[in-house]
Amino acid sequence: MSEVVLQEVAKHYGPAVVVQNMSLRIADGELISLLGPSGCGKTTTLRMIGGFVDATSGKITVGGRDVTGLPPNRRNMGFVFQNYALFPHMTIAQNVAFGLEMRKVNRADAEKKVQEALARVRLAQYADRLPKQLSGGQQQRVALARALVIEPDVLLLDEPLSNLDASLRQEMKIEIRQLQQSLGLTTIFVTHDQDEAMSTSDRMVLMYNGKVEQIGSPDELYNQPRSAFAARFLGVPNLLPGRIVQGSFEMEGGTALRLAGQKQLVGNCFLALRPEVIGISAEAVEGENNLSGTVEIMTYHGAAVEYQLRTDAGLTLTARAVAPGLGGPEVLPKGAKAWLHWPASAGVIVSEH
Amino acid sequence: MTDTVAEPARGAAPKGVAIRLGIPMLSAPAMILVALGLLLPLALMLRNSLNIYDPAELMISAFTLENYVKFFTDSFYQGVLWRTIWISALSTAICLIFGAPVAYFLARYVGDFAKRMLLIFILVPLLIGNAVRTSAWMLILNDHGVLAAILGFFGYEGELGLMYSAPGVVIGLVSVLLPFMIITLNSVFEAIDRNLEDAGLSLGANHVTIMRRIVLPLALPGILSGSVLCFILSMNAYATPVLIGGPTFHMMAPTVYQQIAKVMNWPFGAALSFILMAVTLCLTIWVSALVQRKYRKWSE
Repeated sequence: MSEVVLQEVAKHYGPAVVVQNMSLRIADGELISLLGPSGCGKTTTLRMIGGFVDATSGKITVGGRDVTGLPPNRRNMGFVFQNYALFPHMTIAQNVAFGLEMRKVNRADAEKKVQEALARVRLAQYADRLPKQLSGGQQQRVALARALVIEPDVLLLDEPLSNLDASLRQEMKIEIRQLQQSLGLTTIFVTHDQDEAMSTSDRMVLMYNGKVEQIGSPDELYNQPRSAFAARFLGVPNLLPGRIVQGSFEMEGGTALRLAGQKQLVGNCFLALRPEVIGISAEAVEGENNLSGTVEIMTYHGAAVEYQLRTDAGLTLTARAVAPGLGGPEVLPKGAKAWLHWPASAGVIVSEH
Repeated sequence: MTDTVAEPARGAAPKGVAIRLGIPMLSAPAMILVALGLLLPLALMLRNSLNIYDPAELMISAFTLENYVKFFTDSFYQGVLWRTIWISALSTAICLIFGAPVAYFLARYVGDFAKRMLLIFILVPLLIGNAVRTSAWMLILNDHGVLAAILGFFGYEGELGLMYSAPGVVIGLVSVLLPFMIITLNSVFEAIDRNLEDAGLSLGANHVTIMRRIVLPLALPGILSGSVLCFILSMNAYATPVLIGGPTFHMMAPTVYQQIAKVMNWPFGAALSFILMAVTLCLTIWVSALVQRKYRKWSE
């Protein structure tokens, strides 16, 4: 069992609070991602779990064992660094063997384990090369093999994909997820990329200003962002300011929009609308919420057409329609008058903060 | 296809050629300066070292190895060379032992601003001329000087005996060379990714192992160049051996000066400086090769 529990963990640098009383329970075998913009405290949190940064207060346990005061070399955690941090003067095999050597594993066993670890990341034939002779993606896989070969209780990944190009990132994302699941390894993955977090994690922890903004499954975070920050960070471009009056949403300026099944909030809030729930047509649609506006930008994406419209009230909204060839509406040119419409149940009410 | 490619205008060289020739040409003035300023005097010295000294005529043109033979048959001069070598080696070793921890500490644990201030502080001694600084050391080291007074305060009554002695010269040399060592090593340690040490920690290594297996092998080329720099500087040191070592403590550079400026024996002075240069060069190459071999063994 290697359940990781953070109890009221905080990090202060003088008067600056980098991580504020954070409590988190990561189940055995779970992959959780710490997501947020730079400076939100996600990397500091990871480094506290890894033991590279001392927590100012709070307690960290792994499988019930208190590791708060332990140095990194006694925590038995695998750490993968953003820049891979492979030892440049050692071969790939020596890099992977290093942790086993520190654990005094006998030579024959170590050799076997190194070979297995390299085979697992499909790099067996590169054992005698130096790190600089490998591509970025290969180096990252070596870093992964090096962290996994010591059979850690927890795997910690610090932005492991951010130095890779887009196609490699996609490939590594899947690889990390597969490895993690086949080993059943408790894993904490730090990233600033919501797409990366969403496609790899069991749960996501969205952080902002040293605090947890929201915790949930990718599905929950995607469909039910709690705040305007969460909605924006998870890629919702449309946030309509207003407040709830007698069960309907009153936009600034007085236009009332129908709601159905949304949570209700007191005071100022936003209605968050994903581009794909907004339909676009030449006529208002009976039974839905309608706003009229003018097409400002039209971009064609093959399967979809994305519009940026300015409503008559002066708001800029993004809508995404299915391409005409796939049964979507006619393409509207720039400058065209159009109606935006969405069902009352679409959209999420999010708090201001 | 060929007819669509415009031919380069007749007589005008293609641009690429101009660039290929032009950029190396930029180094020509420096090359000429190096040739005139460095190689020419060296060649002249080599020529002089083959001449014959005559007390009346000073220098008689010849082609003889007499001066070199004189060095290798006169145990006094060999003694000077040996002393120069071990004083330099010891000073370099002490600089390394004291400089490396300071450089590492500066590179790892000190903030940017504080580090800049400390480096300036370390460099301050270099702003004062060597001779002036060494004179100050004379005031500190002599038997009635600052150090003697401090030790006297704590009840030490004996003679210090640091002036005109090897320990005094080594102290003087270390004070001159330490800044060079610290600054060289600081940039060496800065260039080593801190994550490598963290990676070592996360894999279960302790700090000693990380130093030995990761930092040291990666810093070795830099440690070597810092040491070579200090060694060469102290092999050729002049002011410190003259001022602290005094008239009876002989090292190579002052001896060369003495032969050329005092005795006016240019041929022998030239031979001595060539021997000094050759020995410094050979030792440097030998140690470098040794360290390189060791380095390969370490990294396994």
